[in-house]
Amino acid sequence: MTRTRGEAAVTISGLVKTFGRFTAVDQISLTVGRGEIFGFLGANGAGKSTTIRMLCGILAPTAGSGTVAGLDIVRETEQIKTRIGYMSQRFSLYDDLTVTENIEFFGEIYGVYGARLARRTAWILAMANLRERQDSLTGELAMGWKQRLALGCAMVHEPEMLFLDEPTAGVDPASRRRFWELIYAAAEQGVTIFVTTHYMDEAEHCDRLALMHRGRIIALGTPAELKDGYMAGTLLEVRAEPVMAALERLSSLPAVREVALFGSALHAVVGGPDEADDVRAALDAAGIRVERLAPARPSLDDVFVALIEQAERGA
Amino acid sequence: MMLLRTWMIMWKEFRQIARDPRMLAVVVALPTFMILLYGYAINLDVRAVRMAVYDQSRSPQSRELVNAFARSGYFRVIAYPGNDREVTALLDGGRARMVLIIPARFARRLADGETAPVQVLMDGADSTTASTALGYAADILQQYSSHVALEAARRAGLTAPATGQPVENRARYWYNPELRSNHFTIPGLIAVILMMLAALLTSVTVVRERERGTIEGLLASPVRPLELMLGKLAPYVLIAFGDVLLVMAVSAVVFHVPLVGSPALVLALAGIFVIAALGIGLLISTVAPTQQVAMVAAVMATQLPTVLLSGFIFPISSMPQAVQLLTALIPATHFIRILRGIFLKGNTLAILWQPALVLAVIAVAMVLLSANRFRRTL
Amino acid sequence: MNLHRILRLMKKELIQIRRDRRILAFLFVVPVVQLFLFGYAVSTDVNHVAMAVLDEDRTAESRALIRRFTASGYFDQVAYLSGQREIDALLDAGRAALVLRVPRGFGHALARGRGAEIQTILDGADSRMARVIAGYTNGVLRVYGGEIVQTRAPRARLPAVDGRVRVWYNPELKSVYFMVPGVLCMVLFLITMLMTALAIVREREIGTLEQLVVTPLSAGELMLGKTLPFLLIGLIEIVLTLLTAILIFRVEVAGSIPLLFALSALFLMTSLGLGIFISTISKTQHEATLSSFLCFMPFILLSGFIFPVENMPAAIQGVTYLIPLRYFLEIVRGIFLRGVGMDVLWPQVIALAVFGIAILSLAAARFSKRLG
Repeated sequence: MTRTRGEAAVTISGLVKTFGRFTAVDQISLTVGRGEIFGFLGANGAGKSTTIRMLCGILAPTAGSGTVAGLDIVRETEQIKTRIGYMSQRFSLYDDLTVTENIEFFGEIYGVYGARLARRTAWILAMANLRERQDSLTGELAMGWKQRLALGCAMVHEPEMLFLDEPTAGVDPASRRRFWELIYAAAEQGVTIFVTTHYMDEAEHCDRLALMHRGRIIALGTPAELKDGYMAGTLLEVRAEPVMAALERLSSLPAVREVALFGSALHAVVGGPDEADDVRAALDAAGIRVERLAPARPSLDDVFVALIEQAERGA
Repeated sequence: MMLLRTWMIMWKEFRQIARDPRMLAVVVALPTFMILLYGYAINLDVRAVRMAVYDQSRSPQSRELVNAFARSGYFRVIAYPGNDREVTALLDGGRARMVLIIPARFARRLADGETAPVQVLMDGADSTTASTALGYAADILQQYSSHVALEAARRAGLTAPATGQPVENRARYWYNPELRSNHFTIPGLIAVILMMLAALLTSVTVVRERERGTIEGLLASPVRPLELMLGKLAPYVLIAFGDVLLVMAVSAVVFHVPLVGSPALVLALAGIFVIAALGIGLLISTVAPTQQVAMVAAVMATQLPTVLLSGFIFPISSMPQAVQLLTALIPATHFIRILRGIFLKGNTLAILWQPALVLAVIAVAMVLLSANRFRRTL
Repeated sequence: MNLHRILRLMKKELIQIRRDRRILAFLFVVPVVQLFLFGYAVSTDVNHVAMAVLDEDRTAESRALIRRFTASGYFDQVAYLSGQREIDALLDAGRAALVLRVPRGFGHALARGRGAEIQTILDGADSRMARVIAGYTNGVLRVYGGEIVQTRAPRARLPAVDGRVRVWYNPELKSVYFMVPGVLCMVLFLITMLMTALAIVREREIGTLEQLVVTPLSAGELMLGKTLPFLLIGLIEIVLTLLTAILIFRVEVAGSIPLLFALSALFLMTSLGLGIFISTISKTQHEATLSSFLCFMPFILLSGFIFPVENMPAAIQGVTYLIPLRYFLEIVRGIFLRGVGMDVLWPQVIALAVFGIAILSLAAARFSKRLG
């Protein structure tokens, strides 16, 4: 309902962070709207966590500027901290405190006391489905529960923005799905979500995505935009037998820019849809039995593999 | 194959040690620091005790007595208080350890052939220094006393021996004729350093792998527990021998501690001791649930007994009977005896077979025990 | 500074400590073990010196002299040798610390009013012990000699000097009185420094430190919240050590206990500061423990805890002025044993305060920087 309130939750322009000679974040700019679920993708070391840390006010940028919730990320870090929630890739609650103690601890640190704290605690216990286990030591919980509790603790002070740094790393698929339901619910409440992830199926859940590579944003848009717009050429799905011979043949064809094994099929990128026949002919000539060869809508995986290879070639 | 795998683990362990600057500090800097400290800074002898003299007699005799204190080298006169208040202030502030009060009638009484009392006030806070200093003071006073008595006897026309004392003592100090305290401490230091290394380094190796979860990776590999254990311990054995050589070199070159006996015997028995020490370290490592507990347990179980109860500094003969029995269980007790025997007395196995045997028994027991635990924890 | 947040952090810390049985055991066991070791087990008193006798004279005089030795209470006769060759084996094996040799002609010389000679051979390996034994030997001989002089001149009135010894502060010269204040300092230092460093590094290791950094908690609040619990524990530790010392080892505190607590709190600035500092240079708990140990060793050895500073060479004595533990040790011993107050201890208190403020502010600065 509040997804299109227009006002930006995050604005960044020309943000740079260097560590010695290493440039972790290189001139990135973007805007995230209120209530948006914004996905941040990229390999390890691409600069995602560094960016998040700058936005949260833990790390001072080397250059550039930005705002979070309308507050300056260089000068107003303390105010920012009271308005945001943060959950990192490592599970970071206290194992030797009980569930309730963890909630109360973070609550009071954020200045949530008394009746409000009781209300928030009840809300988190309900949300994370931990009511029966509220007096268990946190260390005894299964990973999925811990993750939901961590999310709850990050939201104890009802932040208007949540930064989630790979929140679902190491969690089983069922728990991941539940976790994303919670994220959707939070977004419904108007909370802006800034999330980094490795999982492409999670990326599909985001309203918008940014792909980082070597400190730069190399693609930005909705999942649909990325799939349609960023791919130069056409993706062909090829099912052929024997598949390894097909892969070898395809990679030697000049018309095929890229080819990769995708499940039991092959994904090949060619200049346009009209080149499909040439490809089929080449495979037939090599004595490979083609079961299916048709243009396909690229998955995010395809898009990112292609984008990163383009970026590498460009570099 | 087994050798190769053991070698691989050893190499991994070595590189982990070499990459950790703290480990290097523990392995190289700490032993060097300790030997310099014990060799140079720490002196078990009591010398130049700060002393004040409240001389109410102000006579040639009283000055002669004070001179006797100053000449002995055990005392250094730092103040001449003029009243009781100053005396108290000197002792309270810890500026003087001892005050000698010579009453006004001192010279007069001596001349009359009477017993002249003097007062010695001793700061007993540091009981060790105090009792040693008291011994020296009593010695000097007695010497002076017999000196004045002999003088008087001679004046009385007694045909006493011109040499002075009727019974002359010719004392000889064997093994350490100059009574250097570092000749006593440095050989024992080898045991202390080895124990410290074993405790600090090995006690965490197993727990660390378990805490980080890497032990599962090793267990899933074809490495057998024995190979794992040998591979993990071998680097520390080498480091330990390196440190033994380091201490032996510094002790000979810098502090001129004699090595009368056989260096080969030192190294051979050090080998047995190292095995015992590493066995204890490994045992702690396999029992402790976390690195933290391992470290603390290692320090408590090895460092304190090794430094305090092994005879390294505090003589075993001065301990209560029950504690003396306890010291026999500490490997360092036997190894320090061996070290001093070889270094200072030139002992051979003919004399040292007993502590060597006990050491070997402890080593074998530790290795069996820890190997057993090691297999079970895996 | 938000007091509520600091208190909340302290409360959390205390809950965690209370839940960890190992820490509780550590807190309780360390002072008791140390007190036992230093108060009861070890001492440097030398008694029951193992003495072997080689009496080549075998006269009434030689036997009288030997009786003097055995009756003095210092010496235990462990062997009666029949020849010089046995001395080697005995001392080599360390079975005797002293060999008393009375050469032939001893009794004859004394009987004829001449000077006689004896020989003592000491195992000098333990130099300190050898000196003490030599002192005992001389004492016995002087008394014996004095009596011989008197018997030779029965009517002469011979003067003598009588040393009347009074020992202040620790009249029975019990080493436990000396060691208890030292143990108190050491335990306080070790526990507060190590636990502070570990408490911070552990949060870094498990990732909660990062979580705390994104909260409104400032570096100062975080540091206070993490260290104040250990200040409290340090003070509890003092109470524990004091109670053990007073109830079990019967040590009395001559001076003011409130002053002891106040100045301990002053010292805790140093040890907590060092703990914070170590936490900033350590990534893991293992590193923090090693660093603490590397810092602990010189502090203990150079503070005068076991080895008196005044026996060290001048250059090293200079170095000891840089060890804050040294001042605290002097303060605690002063209060414990001498019963002195601020009028005497002010120089040490000033030195301790200067070190405490310097170390704590340096550590705090580094800590805040490391968080950013």
